[in-house]
Amino acid sequence: MIVAKGVGKSFGGERILSGVDLTFHEGEVVGIVGPGGVGKSLLMKILCGLVEPDEGEVTVFGRSWADLSVTERAKLRERFGMLFQNYALFDFMTVGENVAFPLVQRGDMSAQDVQERVVERLTQVELSGVNHLYSRELSGGMKKRVALARATIGEAPIIIYDDPTAGLDPVTSSKIFNLISDLQRPDSLSLITSHDIERMMPVCQRYIMLYQGGVYFRGTAQEAKQSQDPVLRVFFGGDAVDVGRRTMAGAEGIS
Amino acid sequence: MGLLLSRQHQRSALLRAFALLSQTFLWLGRGSLRRRRQQFIEQLFEMGNRSVLFITVTLGTLGMISVFQVLIQVDRILPEYSVVGPAFLLTMVREFAPTIAGLMIATRVGSGIAAEIGSMVVTEQVDALRMCNAEPVDYLVAPRFAACLIQTVLLTMYGGVVSVVAGGLVANLVWGIPYEVFFRVDNITYSDFLAGFLKCVAYGIAIPIAAAQAGLETEGGSEGVGTATTRAVVNASFCVVVLDFILSGFAFFFLFD
Ligand SMILES: Nc1ncnc2c1ncn2[C@@H]1O[C@H](COP(=O)(O)OP(=O)(O)O)[C@@H](O)[C@H]1O
Ligand SMILES: [Mg+2]
Repeated sequence: MIVAKGVGKSFGGERILSGVDLTFHEGEVVGIVGPGGVGKSLLMKILCGLVEPDEGEVTVFGRSWADLSVTERAKLRERFGMLFQNYALFDFMTVGENVAFPLVQRGDMSAQDVQERVVERLTQVELSGVNHLYSRELSGGMKKRVALARATIGEAPIIIYDDPTAGLDPVTSSKIFNLISDLQRPDSLSLITSHDIERMMPVCQRYIMLYQGGVYFRGTAQEAKQSQDPVLRVFFGGDAVDVGRRTMAGAEGIS
Repeated sequence: MGLLLSRQHQRSALLRAFALLSQTFLWLGRGSLRRRRQQFIEQLFEMGNRSVLFITVTLGTLGMISVFQVLIQVDRILPEYSVVGPAFLLTMVREFAPTIAGLMIATRVGSGIAAEIGSMVVTEQVDALRMCNAEPVDYLVAPRFAACLIQTVLLTMYGGVVSVVAGGLVANLVWGIPYEVFFRVDNITYSDFLAGFLKCVAYGIAIPIAAAQAGLETEGGSEGVGTATTRAVVNASFCVVVLDFILSGFAFFFLFD
């Protein structure tokens, strides 16, 4: 579904990502992990065509972002749902309008159907009755759930969850991952970036770990835990869970 | 930021500003305001409310001080007060009302536009719009542009009246010049009003574009919004000064006899 070849990106002379090769298939739920500031969010934006890589190319459904016109890109982006790390709820719209937005923009449903779908989706994320509120009136956890509803309402074939639990308490985080798991459809691809490996475990089938500007590991959590590589063991909490937690806390600075 | 900016990054700021301006006109032509009427009206009120007191104070003070200073000089050189009013009105219409109001609007409204759009960039709302096949220029820039253009014209007219009234009051109350002597308008022509009007329209176009550009190009976290706001005020004020120079020259050669 998505193929990235030799993707690299620098900002102001600083190389954030280089030589990233990835392939994702339908039906997968893949965790993208790595310390804060390693470029997880950046990679997600490169995959969905919001950021142009300096090197390499990304193809989605066999079409490379670089070859597409502005209109074609916009069309292809409709096949993505995205939950942004910073919520990205439109502050000039109500919750209901926010959630409805991807459907309204696509313009293939009647207003009535859109409303029904919005109510249904908000109920699913346990937020019924907040349609008329603005995002500034919501708590962090509620905003994430609204963002979750907006990301999934279009039932897009590819859904990206960028740090869905950043800044949330453990209970709310678990709830968010459960919701992601509930909303997962068998034929769609989901990419989840996070450093909350423990709570991702039940949801993700395999992991990509970014470290030092590139892909450091790809495989299952089991493989990572059994690896002899100390970085992996620390990160995936093999036999050194406590050390891992402490290191992670230190690395969480910018995310 | 996204594709739009990374592609355009090599181009100079002025070229990017013209690109943004033409995109804004394009979206206005495609009925952006009709679709975003509510946002447009909200912006119109917000910009007006934010600036009206500021304009009243600055232009009122400017009117009072300039009349006062000129009268001191006139008193010393040629005690002939009747020339002061008409000359003051003329420079206000042609130059000071639009330009001082323009600078004030660049500060008040320009900073507001950049801060709002900048924080939308930082919280990824701009990315989210683009993911949903919605153009940020259509949603964010076009309504602000139209509102700022209209408000610049209205606030300049209002500011001009305030400064003239304030100047007249000083002339009458402090120097005893009768109102009918001070407010003599027979030497002001349509060309003078046209020169002033052209200036405020030009500022009304340049300020929101300079500010929106600074906002859309916000980089980094919330500190980035501060930098963008400063850049917006500097660039917008600079635009006002440069346009003033160009349009004054234009008016001198083509409008005035
Ligand atoms: N638009 C941008 N301009 C400049 N630097 C950026 C930009 N986007 C990301 N970066 C830099 O890229 C690095 C990776 O950021 P990010 O992808 O947010 O990391 P993560 O999501 O893994 O925590 C950071 O150092 C950040 O400063
Ligand atoms: Mg991130």
